[in-house]
Amino acid sequence: MADDVVIRPMTELDLEGITRIDERITRQYRPDVWERRVGYYLRRDADSSQVADVGGKVAGFMMGEVRGGEFGLDEPTGWIEFFGVDPDVRGRDLGRKLIDALLAHFRAQGAHIARTMVATRDEDIAGFLKAMQFTPAPLTALEKRL
Amino acid sequence: MADHQSQLPRQYHEAVMHWQRHNFPDYPKLPEQWDTYFPKDEAFCLCARIQQNMPEHIEVGDRKGQPKAVAPRELDPKAAEELLAIIRAQASTEFGSIQQHQATLARASDPQDQAWVLRVMAEELRHGYQMIHLLTSADWSPVTDTKPQDMVEEILSMKTGSHVLAAFNLEYDSFVDNIVFAAFIDRVGKYQLTMQKVNAYQPMASSMPPMLREEAFHLAAGVIPMRRWAEAAVKSDALITMPVLQKVVNKWFGRGLEMFGDERGGKTNVRLGLKDKTNRVAQDEYIAECDKMLDDINQRYVRARFPRLSRDEADALYARVKADRGAIDGLSWDDDLLKLPHASFFRRRGESAFQMIGFDGGTFTDVDAYIAHVRDHLPEAYVASVDVKHWAELQRGVARGTVPLEKALSSMPRLARVGGACPCANSVRWVVDVEVSPNGGLGGQETRLSP
Ligand SMILES: CC(C)(COP(=O)(O)OP(=O)(O)OC[C@H]1O[C@@H](n2cnc3c(N)ncnc32)[C@H](O)[C@@H]1OP(=O)(O)O)[C@@H](O)C(=O)NCCC(=O)NCCS
Ligand SMILES: [Fe+2]
Ligand SMILES: [Fe+2]
Repeated sequence: MADDVVIRPMTELDLEGITRIDERITRQYRPDVWERRVGYYLRRDADSSQVADVGGKVAGFMMGEVRGGEFGLDEPTGWIEFFGVDPDVRGRDLGRKLIDALLAHFRAQGAHIARTMVATRDEDIAGFLKAMQFTPAPLTALEKRL
Repeated sequence: MADHQSQLPRQYHEAVMHWQRHNFPDYPKLPEQWDTYFPKDEAFCLCARIQQNMPEHIEVGDRKGQPKAVAPRELDPKAAEELLAIIRAQASTEFGSIQQHQATLARASDPQDQAWVLRVMAEELRHGYQMIHLLTSADWSPVTDTKPQDMVEEILSMKTGSHVLAAFNLEYDSFVDNIVFAAFIDRVGKYQLTMQKVNAYQPMASSMPPMLREEAFHLAAGVIPMRRWAEAAVKSDALITMPVLQKVVNKWFGRGLEMFGDERGGKTNVRLGLKDKTNRVAQDEYIAECDKMLDDINQRYVRARFPRLSRDEADALYARVKADRGAIDGLSWDDDLLKLPHASFFRRRGESAFQMIGFDGGTFTDVDAYIAHVRDHLPEAYVASVDVKHWAELQRGVARGTVPLEKALSSMPRLARVGGACPCANSVRWVVDVEVSPNGGLGGQETRLSP
């Protein structure tokens, strides 16, 4: 079973599977949100975002792209923006394989650094990213309620 | 970006721009809409793109392992001839689809769908430009007596009705065609481009990855609106209903299958190192992918129609209705959901051409009954076209033995507008000579844009 995992670039036919995973994680059905996001990443760079295909079904996804100039950070940066692994197949290295593929693409696009942001309460995600050797950045996220 | 961009020599660049003015008048709207619909995306560039760092050795076929050709004369002569035909056919599809899209682009009912199709069209123009680059940046004289100017002229002269493949000779009846075409016909394009990534001619192989990145968006520009229409179709006052979508699917699916070539063919192209799959293998994968696409769209419909069902319950309901081809809780396979026609339905080329196979795969013996069956599965506006009339006449002739099958296979309907030079009064050709520049030959050199 572990052998039939294929990591490949995301396509428009992964939409239903991604919506399903998100629904399992967040308990919300948000097809339009994922249509917008998938449409965005496909048109920006169709080779960038990745999915984990297990036996022909999408079991995990990771979306991101290389951009420069965000927050005055001029260097090309690989931004990791949305990801999720089906709760049924967690702990089987799908998250690691997805991030490896995404980071390899970032490197090929000339980025020397990857960045992401995590909400303080998302300890799971922070734990995973720490295991992937992400370290706190010398940046502070600030906000103001309006 | 790992691709190198260049502009065609002036005479060809001007010929394409001239063609655009006549065939794609909405092109100038793209930069006006860009920041609204594609904010911060790199601006569109009408240029040839060549991917860097591609394999240098032949990947399939008899010459596997040998260095790839960088000039046509280095190819096996048979391979060079086949490749030239592939490039001309590919160019015809790129320019042809723009002519089709343009006719109904203005009828889009949603500005975002329209902007997406407009971008698709511009990228098709770039794909056609890429093919002209392949034809004009190398010496094809060992393969053909036709001069590059004349090859380009021939491509730019084609109109809906005189293109190489039938899918590009059908007119669109409404904006639904723009979308369903992107979902089904651009998908065949994706298969062809993917197979040609291994091409033994290095410039061809290196043309594929940038085109494929654009193609991924074209498929999204088809599938995402179809998904939204399916969701909206659950409302009793929906304008674009599932039966309407179904008929448009029926119009295009067979033409898409035929773009793979005869099911029994394709071995030569693999042997010659031009593609990595035979026609039937690629076509079977395509069919499976279309089936998955319709499942996804149907599931979107089922969720909207039964909002109280959980994801798992809705998936189970859909699976049962599909397996039984039945109806449960008012959800009917026949009336509510999108289905892929049988691969032999309404076919005019290939193994099952003119075999009178119905939508569900059943065989007809009575030709009049078959024609009525096909008619009832096609959009009304399309049924009234010369294309369907021509098919019905051939189908009748083949069934009655008055038209030999081989003749029917190669017959194309003649639309009123066929071919033609530039319609401007002061010019008869698309490609016109420009002054010889001091440092270049006729029409000058390609301009390197980047990196
Ligand atoms: C975070 C997530 C992607 C991990 O996926 P996964 O496939 O289970 O992860 P892997 O099996 O590849 O784990 C890789 C490593 O991360 C570690 N890890 C995973 N989850 C962890 C956690 N919650 N805490 C600490 N470490 C964790 C694993 O232990 C493993 O480390 P190791 O190799 O040193 O043993 C998955 O749990 C998930 O989808 N969470 C929800 C994400 C979400 O909410 N997304 C919506 C916002 S975009
Ligand atoms: Fe194209
Ligand atoms: Fe396309």
